[in-house]
Amino acid sequence: MGFWEEFIPLVLHGAVNTLWVLVISIPASVALAIALGSARVYGNAPIKAIATAFVVTFRGFPLVVTLFLLFFGLADLGIYLTPYQTATLAFVLCGGSYMSEYVRGAIRSIDIGQSLAARALGMTKFQELIYIILPQAIRRALPGLSNEIIYQIKYSSLAFVVGYEEIFAVSKTFISRYFMPLQVFMVDAALYLAMTTAAAYGLRALEYKLRIPGLEMSIR
Amino acid sequence: MVGDEIVLRVENIHKRYKDQEVLKGVTFEVRRGETKVIAGPSGAGKSTLLRCINLLTKPDKGRVWLEGVELTDPETNINKMRQKIGFVFQEFNLFHHLTALENVMIGLTKVKKLPKDVARKKAEEALLTVHITEDLWHKYPAQLSGGQKQRVAIARALAMDPVIILYDEPTSALDPQLVGEVLRVMEELARKGVTGLVVTHEIGFALEVADEILFMYGGRILERGPPREVVFSPKHEVTRKFFENITKLYGGK
Repeated sequence: MGFWEEFIPLVLHGAVNTLWVLVISIPASVALAIALGSARVYGNAPIKAIATAFVVTFRGFPLVVTLFLLFFGLADLGIYLTPYQTATLAFVLCGGSYMSEYVRGAIRSIDIGQSLAARALGMTKFQELIYIILPQAIRRALPGLSNEIIYQIKYSSLAFVVGYEEIFAVSKTFISRYFMPLQVFMVDAALYLAMTTAAAYGLRALEYKLRIPGLEMSIR
Repeated sequence: MVGDEIVLRVENIHKRYKDQEVLKGVTFEVRRGETKVIAGPSGAGKSTLLRCINLLTKPDKGRVWLEGVELTDPETNINKMRQKIGFVFQEFNLFHHLTALENVMIGLTKVKKLPKDVARKKAEEALLTVHITEDLWHKYPAQLSGGQKQRVAIARALAMDPVIILYDEPTSALDPQLVGEVLRVMEELARKGVTGLVVTHEIGFALEVADEILFMYGGRILERGPPREVVFSPKHEVTRKFFENITKLYGGK
């Protein structure tokens, strides 16, 4: 069997594994980001403190350290995560922490009048957050979140350090047999580019779909 | 229209911001069906007073009752009571991400928990009452004129079936040619017996519609009485000066 016949199925298998992580980790990161960002603006003092500590911690750790901590560190404590679980969890902790700052910034940018009007109607703090503030804040945070989502697609290649068989991991192993790094990494690069481009288009389409008529500058 | 039943009682409200005492003990009451106008120079504490009533601002001292329930009592569920107090802001504060109809509906569906179809019907009625016609129901706030926005905001308050509507300078952010349509709606509501407490510089409105004017100065009610009396033959020099200037500016009726 030649190089391509062997490599293409292998790298596609890696790509499926990559996607399998991302399909969970991206939505979960966004959800965590919304929860953390909201908690840091709307939470009471203890909730704020916990959320802030969480963000500072997981934004402060290099992703590779988080991966090792979850995989080897937790194993030391008797908690064994699979490479898949490790990668997914690490991406969510790290990505969610980063993204939460976009959410927090977006919430803070909402005019206080929106909050006053919600309260004047008799909404609880939680109702105000869910029905009035977040629908507007998430729209504002979306371009920033898109950035982080694209980062996450690319940084998913780091999952190789805990032995997860994603694109980059299978490629590295393959190179040691054929030693054709140019071809291998060009294929990898093309695969990542395809994923990030698809994500960018998808996110832009979402942004367009969620636009508020008359309110924002044109994004087309 | 005005009965004897007191629906809002405000007693000895004090509010201080750092070194500035904005409200120095304000007391008054509003009867059902009544329209009361609060006038006074800027910095007199009018807007703060209004926000102290539904506790968007917490007064330092003093008490507020709505239909006999003390709002300032920490035991009172303020969210529940705020449903009964309409509030119309100077800057409209419509929810940007919702259409006109949705702006009016959201309080009904999410706060009052009415079924969607009931809420929709109620919201449509409220919009028609403020002369927002069907072609505007699905427009977003940013697509509406200032006068339309403020009328939607009034409908949003009205749809909740409030005991009273508080208006905080509802026409001050409007282009002069749009002021009339908002004042007309407010006047119509007043004539229908919707109780209102209105902070405004619109002397014409006060003279035509108000049952009483409260003139605020330096954090107190300096003078109060029937509109014509307070505007045309006030007891205090500052009151006279204020209404003289306002009349020149707004060319009252």
